[in-house]
Amino acid sequence: MGEIKTYSEDELILRLQNQDQAAFSYLYDHYSAALNGIIHRMIDDTQLAEDILQEAFVKIWNNFKQYDPSKGRLFTWMVNITRNLTIDTIRSKAYKKQQKISQDDNSVIGQKDSASGAERFDSLGLRKQVEALKPDQRIIIDLAYFNGYTQEEISKEMGIPLGTVKTRMRAAIMELRKLAKN
Amino acid sequence: MEISAIISSGLLELYATGAATESEVATVEQWIADYPEVRAELDSIEKLMESYAFAYAMAPTPGLKTNILDTVFPQASQVVPVQTLSFSQEKRYAHISPVWKYLAAASILLLMGSVVLNFTWYNRLQKTEFAYTSSKTELASMHNRMEGMDEDMQVVKNKYSMPVALQGLAAAPEAAAKVFWMKNSGEVYIDPSNLPAIPAGMQYQLWGIVDGKPVDAGLIITTTADKKYRIQKMKSFGKSKVEAFAVTLETAGGNPTPKGDMYVMGKM
Repeated sequence: MGEIKTYSEDELILRLQNQDQAAFSYLYDHYSAALNGIIHRMIDDTQLAEDILQEAFVKIWNNFKQYDPSKGRLFTWMVNITRNLTIDTIRSKAYKKQQKISQDDNSVIGQKDSASGAERFDSLGLRKQVEALKPDQRIIIDLAYFNGYTQEEISKEMGIPLGTVKTRMRAAIMELRKLAKN
Repeated sequence: MEISAIISSGLLELYATGAATESEVATVEQWIADYPEVRAELDSIEKLMESYAFAYAMAPTPGLKTNILDTVFPQASQVVPVQTLSFSQEKRYAHISPVWKYLAAASILLLMGSVVLNFTWYNRLQKTEFAYTSSKTELASMHNRMEGMDEDMQVVKNKYSMPVALQGLAAAPEAAAKVFWMKNSGEVYIDPSNLPAIPAGMQYQLWGIVDGKPVDAGLIITTTADKKYRIQKMKSFGKSKVEAFAVTLETAGGNPTPKGDMYVMGKM
């Protein structure tokens, strides 16, 4: 990924708001791998994942006016779009049908522990620190961030009371933050 | 609500990881609008999650970018500098330039023109084929006739061939015929082309006069107009001494001895 030019996030947003095509190209170069990685945490099908990624980028471009920087970071917004599209796909009849045929392990936690293709991922960022997280803390972050689980779903999956999800999530993220600083 | 309580509530974390409910989202958005400190805290959580996502980054196949750019900017794939791409990946969402549209339109016109031409040429071909077939038939019949004439000529030209002229008699003064007698083999041929047309149910019969008596030399074929004018082979007399030849008109199928009128006769 050769970086010809770098934009600050504010500059990038401004350019995208003005439909700058070069900025979109830059956006893709910088974020496609991270977003693709998120899709792959949910779907182990390269072709399907890329179809979703394409849909996500098209949506990001077409709906860019809906992005409100005052409500959060650009990447968080893009992740939300990508995650929702992926969940829609997973819940689609066609996908469920296909999964029934190639059913192996339905448990989300199981999938993650088998680290489906984790070795293939680029190790930019926090990879080592993440591995140092306690499994329970990693799972709660992943269920929400990578799998799009609601708090109810997390509480069911992990067998913890609904009211505890918030505090557990905060504890996990504080731990991750601590690890990231090292 | 105090800022520290907001920060420790865990809602910002849920918001940043996408697990907040609708009402929680509204609450958080209100907080970050009101308190810059909360906003800063959320920002750092989001940055953390961003680098968490990057820890699992996985580059998509190189061609995908072109597909996306072509989809998003249908007219501008030339404007945005694009990484080199492999052809097979490019074609999935291939953008169609106006040139191709004109080419497509032109090819449709060409196709239509070709259909019309095909139709015309097909009709012409049919006519030609018909003409060819009739020419062929004609040629074949000519060829047959040629062959017939050739055979006739062989009889006439044969060096052993001895022609005997048969003259018209009382029944048909204008009639004439010619017999070709092969001296070496005794074979007999007749050219009946100058015999008059005969009524249905009758047939000419050739006779050879041997020792003063008529001996059957066979029926002359007149059923097909074609054959009537052709020299035809009759019964051979071998070494017998034939004094004369005569043609009589007999009932169809012939008779063992002449019963009808004698039309022509000629002595050897």
